[in-house]
Amino acid sequence: INEMSDKQSGQKSAKIAAGAVVCVESEIKGDVTIGARTVVHPKARIIAEAGPIIIGEGNLIEEQAVIINSYPENITPDSEGVEPKPMTIGVNNVFEVGCMSQALKIGDNNVIESKANLGRNVILTSGCIIGACCQVNTCEVIPENTVIYGSGCQRRVQTERPQPQTLQLDFLMKILPNYHHLKKTVKTTSGATPAKI
Amino acid sequence: MSQRWVELRRREMASLLQPERVLYLVHGEKKIRSPLSQLYFCRYCSELRSLECVSHEVDSHYCPSCLENMPSAEAKLKKNRCANCFDCPCCMHTLSTRATNIPAPLPDDPTKTAMKKAYYLACGFCRWTSRDVGMADKSVASGGWQEPENPHTQRINKLIEYYQQLAQREKLERDRKKLARRRPFMPLAFSQHTIHVVEKYGLGTRLQRTRPGAPITSLAGLSLKEGEDQKEINIEPAQALDEVEPLPEDCYTRPINLPEGTTLRQRLLQPDFQPAGASQLHPKHKHLLIKRSLRCRKCEHNLSKPEFNPTSIKFKIQLVAVSYIPEVRIMSIPNLRFQKESQVLLTLTNPVENITHVTLVACEEGDPEDINSTAKVMVPIKELVLAGKDAAAEYDELAEPQDFQDDPDVVAFRKSNKIGFFIKVVPQREGLGDVTVSFKIRHDFRNLAAPIRPSEEGDASTEAIWLTHHVELNLGPLAP
Repeated sequence: INEMSDKQSGQKSAKIAAGAVVCVESEIKGDVTIGARTVVHPKARIIAEAGPIIIGEGNLIEEQAVIINSYPENITPDSEGVEPKPMTIGVNNVFEVGCMSQALKIGDNNVIESKANLGRNVILTSGCIIGACCQVNTCEVIPENTVIYGSGCQRRVQTERPQPQTLQLDFLMKILPNYHHLKKTVKTTSGATPAKI
Repeated sequence: MSQRWVELRRREMASLLQPERVLYLVHGEKKIRSPLSQLYFCRYCSELRSLECVSHEVDSHYCPSCLENMPSAEAKLKKNRCANCFDCPCCMHTLSTRATNIPAPLPDDPTKTAMKKAYYLACGFCRWTSRDVGMADKSVASGGWQEPENPHTQRINKLIEYYQQLAQREKLERDRKKLARRRPFMPLAFSQHTIHVVEKYGLGTRLQRTRPGAPITSLAGLSLKEGEDQKEINIEPAQALDEVEPLPEDCYTRPINLPEGTTLRQRLLQPDFQPAGASQLHPKHKHLLIKRSLRCRKCEHNLSKPEFNPTSIKFKIQLVAVSYIPEVRIMSIPNLRFQKESQVLLTLTNPVENITHVTLVACEEGDPEDINSTAKVMVPIKELVLAGKDAAAEYDELAEPQDFQDDPDVVAFRKSNKIGFFIKVVPQREGLGDVTVSFKIRHDFRNLAAPIRPSEEGDASTEAIWLTHHVELNLGPLAP
């Protein structure tokens, strides 16, 4: 993405689009762009260490969820030749309580259930459901509409994608501001559109 | 998957108390060694019983998800399946019914559409829905779902009827032969109730043994009166085919699509169809579970009888060993070294309300029950006295603590109905392997179940009998 070179100089604040509800108690570090109608609960953590994170619209990021763009383990932050890779997250995804996602590319309409763990090299397409406590550390593209469930991470393909949580999002966007302070939204520039996969 | 997790957690929790380390020996048909928490105590025979020396009987059927009780006859008709609940064919979890609003044309006015509720089944664990296999949404919340018909049902039913008839005929013939040898005044009707007849195509002798005197109902209770005309049922024998369907041509070359096929477990849970493709997996009704009651084989008294209500976990009769026999538990083990004497701290708990006197006796040389011990043990010689279990003791401040005058070399501490005492262990075997010791524990037992006889001398207390149990302890490996 071209805007990466601009960001490298040090623009480290989060860019929250108008219409997104991001609670003040959430931790957002680094260069993070959050699309409209996205709800970020308190105690969620979005950390852009090794590159920017671009989150699309209509996402639901629940408490204690961690979305982290971190350096791969064998590379120290100071070594040269490390290009910051952006992490892109599409629309209508749900990151349930306590999940941890390091995947660089996440498409639309995915559900990452509680305490699931996604490695850096996984690419989620659309409609995938990663079940509770499942750890997906493989280096692969997960096909559409895949459900990963069970202690052995069994897989199956479902015929329809999970529905977007519009009702829940609307409810939260009404209720959360009654009880939490929100982070300030910024009018996003035209360049910062979430990458379409 | 979730069952395995439950089992692992149960083992984990049990490992905190480590009941597997103290085993009591049960004298039955087989000598069984098992922790006291898994044993029963027949207070009429005054003996320990394990699960293998009692007879298990089905008490009641219930569905594990809707907790609905079902009488046994109805359960048999429905093949032990619940009428309302379904299992996910993919992950065997319980399916839940979900509703959506769909626009549907009104019956009187086809041009207008109104929102109607449509119901479908969905699994919360693997996200399977009934729409995945093509089952249409139903308009009623429950009762609309049908299991697919087995195409072979008719043939199977006919075969079952034919063989039932055959079994009846053979039984009659056998009984007639037996009667011919018997004395002539034995009533004919009694032959129907003979319990030592082995039923062909029937249930087998093990189940029959537990119902002495009750009439046997073989395959679905066909009982013909003597002399009634039996309807002749003829079946065509199965035809053997020479030609078998050939394999598809791309059988070896087609790449396998794993999510499309079924696993063996999914396939075998539906023995009627055994579908190879995941798109043909239909949900089945949920299996019923049973509550069982246990009965001592010698005296035919009930040892365990659960409550009838499925929501209740209590028991009407619960003669478990831990509430009658003092329990030995290992409290602390020092470093054990080969041929060096060490002191192990054990606790003894008294489950009954009266004072119990316990004597420990080391096993003699050549004791046939002592096969596992790998160390010599020196048990306290004196008799140990255990106070009764007093539930109100903690609230009664004025009660004086009973003075037992314990020998401090033997008794480490005393706390209400529990004492800690030392035994000396000398491991006799070097190398790998656990140090195990065994001894006999002799205690007095007041049998409250015995009938109260009018006493001649005015002695009102029930007599105490002395019971002896063989106990084995696993003290773990030698210190490195």
